[in-house]
Amino acid sequence: MKKNNILRRDFLKGLSTLPFLGWFAFGFKDNITREITKKQPDYHEILRIKQLDSPKEKLIPSAAFNGKQLRFGLVGNGWRGEQLLHTLSYAHPETIEKNTSNGKLSGHFQQFVDNEDVNVEFAGVCDTFKVYADRGAAFQSLKHSTPPIRIYKNYREMIADHTIDAILIATPDHTHAQIAIDAAKAGKHIYLEKPMTHTIEEAVELRNVIKDTGVVFQLGHENRQQMSFKIGREMYRKGVLGDVTLVRTNTHRNSPDGAWIRNRPFEDLANEESIDWKEFLGKAEWQPFDKRKYFNWQRYSQFGTSITGNNFSHQYDCINQVLDLGIPESVVAIGGQHYYKGHGDIPDVLNAVFHYPDRGLAIIYDASLKHGIYRPSQILGSEARMDIDREIRIFKDNGSKRYKNIETHPGVPIYHYEANKDVDAFTSATAQAYIAGGYGPTYIDGKVIDATYLHLKEWFDAIRTGARTSCNIDVGFEEAVTFNLANLAYCHKQTVTWDKMNEKAIIG
Amino acid sequence: MNHKRVHCYTGWQIFGLTLLRVLIGWHFLYEGLIKIYTPGWSANPYLSGALGPLAPLFKNIAHSKIMLPVVDILNEWGLVMIGLSLFIGFLTKPAKLFGILLLLFYYLAYPPFSGLVANTWVEGNYWIVNKNLIEMAALFVLYLFPTSQITGLERFFQGEDAFIDKV
Repeated sequence: MKKNNILRRDFLKGLSTLPFLGWFAFGFKDNITREITKKQPDYHEILRIKQLDSPKEKLIPSAAFNGKQLRFGLVGNGWRGEQLLHTLSYAHPETIEKNTSNGKLSGHFQQFVDNEDVNVEFAGVCDTFKVYADRGAAFQSLKHSTPPIRIYKNYREMIADHTIDAILIATPDHTHAQIAIDAAKAGKHIYLEKPMTHTIEEAVELRNVIKDTGVVFQLGHENRQQMSFKIGREMYRKGVLGDVTLVRTNTHRNSPDGAWIRNRPFEDLANEESIDWKEFLGKAEWQPFDKRKYFNWQRYSQFGTSITGNNFSHQYDCINQVLDLGIPESVVAIGGQHYYKGHGDIPDVLNAVFHYPDRGLAIIYDASLKHGIYRPSQILGSEARMDIDREIRIFKDNGSKRYKNIETHPGVPIYHYEANKDVDAFTSATAQAYIAGGYGPTYIDGKVIDATYLHLKEWFDAIRTGARTSCNIDVGFEEAVTFNLANLAYCHKQTVTWDKMNEKAIIG
Repeated sequence: MNHKRVHCYTGWQIFGLTLLRVLIGWHFLYEGLIKIYTPGWSANPYLSGALGPLAPLFKNIAHSKIMLPVVDILNEWGLVMIGLSLFIGFLTKPAKLFGILLLLFYYLAYPPFSGLVANTWVEGNYWIVNKNLIEMAALFVLYLFPTSQITGLERFFQGEDAFIDKV
């Protein structure tokens, strides 16, 4: 009897913690649901919008195999030219070898190969540097056999070739307009790298020629494909930000490379024989051969378009996607070259203000090439602030009426869209330390896809179907005029106003 | 552990050690379940933001298409199984060791060493010692002073001798 009692007591002892597990089991589900809702509240409810349509966008069915294969030529096979070719699954044999191990391509290149075939043939290349042109001709397709790639003496010879349907232009900025204008007149479709043109006059002329000839034009701001800006645009239009009064954007870098003082591959092979200096100069005034100017043309305002054309143009185009701002009424800019002296004439400290009185807002742009802070563009509204790059973070404004009942914590956004993710994906607080940056792939139709590939594909599809490209000549025109107004304001140290009627900049 | 040593516990010692075991079990179980119940939960952001000397390793896992799902599942179900095991006092020996290992990973992903970027989302102030390290130490103590053969299901898997022995 005694032993039985002991056994029973012992038996109960062994189960003594189970009631706590029962208690846990009874309560945990409700609590977890509460916790999860607290962590990931319904953004529709918080932002007071019924629905978001942009994330539902589907990939447009490819038109690649409607009709014949398109043959394209590349004008300018420098670093960006090569990148564009990589995106289209072409690479130099050395690059292929460097990016292959155990017979497998690196993830980066494999993704390009895995992208849907756009049914195009890289037919020819020209470059003012013989080494780059020769390299281009040696490129191989990673998908198909590669027919011979022809080297053209210059772009004029290329566009005179009737077998070429379209051209990619990735040349120094001061040559963009002339090449694109001549190509359009020759009936070639054009993918032009940003920034669009070196001057406002060129932008006017190029726009007119593109409209007259009807060729399909795409400016190379691939962030037109980026989902964050599509969502940002829809949110703005649905009143999430209230009245937008200010946009802050910036460029900050702290390295010679970031300041466009760069050593280019094969520079040691460059000389007056291997470089067509006259062709490089284009419409720029004649001057003796200078290797430094040739490889670091971005630093010289007669060839490049300063920090504004090189970098602000990206940010501007992204903001323009969200807000449809167009060309500002007036621009002021001030700055100087204080650090990288003797390297051309572009400023390394620059501030510019772009005023849009009819919209009741201004863009302020600050740039320095001796400090490397990263900040996404910020769109400041009466209800909330939107920080936007490949991610979106929305912060409630202190004076907000729309969000007056939303409890917030310092530094914590009321909404966060994470790069490369579905809009409904769970985002966690730790992701807030992560910087998405301005360039890279995007998320669409359930897939993460390279934005430049999508941008090129959109252009090829448009050539076949006549559809509109997203970075067409009209938005390109707005980009070119806007940053060129800032360059004029900087050079003349005066306010520059845009005469909309006559499409002219008025200085002072 | 042999039964003689267990025999030396006083009633309050058994109570204290069992309480600690249940509390840690509760914590693991809840951490695991909340991950399972959160739609689309992944360790990716946590690993992507890792700090300290092993950060590159954690970041590589975050970017690996093969490793990440494995880590996610090990995390979710590892936490749940450890939690349940400690709670009910069954198979606690491997559970405690696996628990220490998991905590070691969390500790190393965001080590509280001076000189690293402070994680502003963590409450309190920590230098070398943080709650993960203390929980690891607590599991180690439980490993040395087990209670599951007294106040856990392990009691029923040790034969009648174990019952008598502990009277």
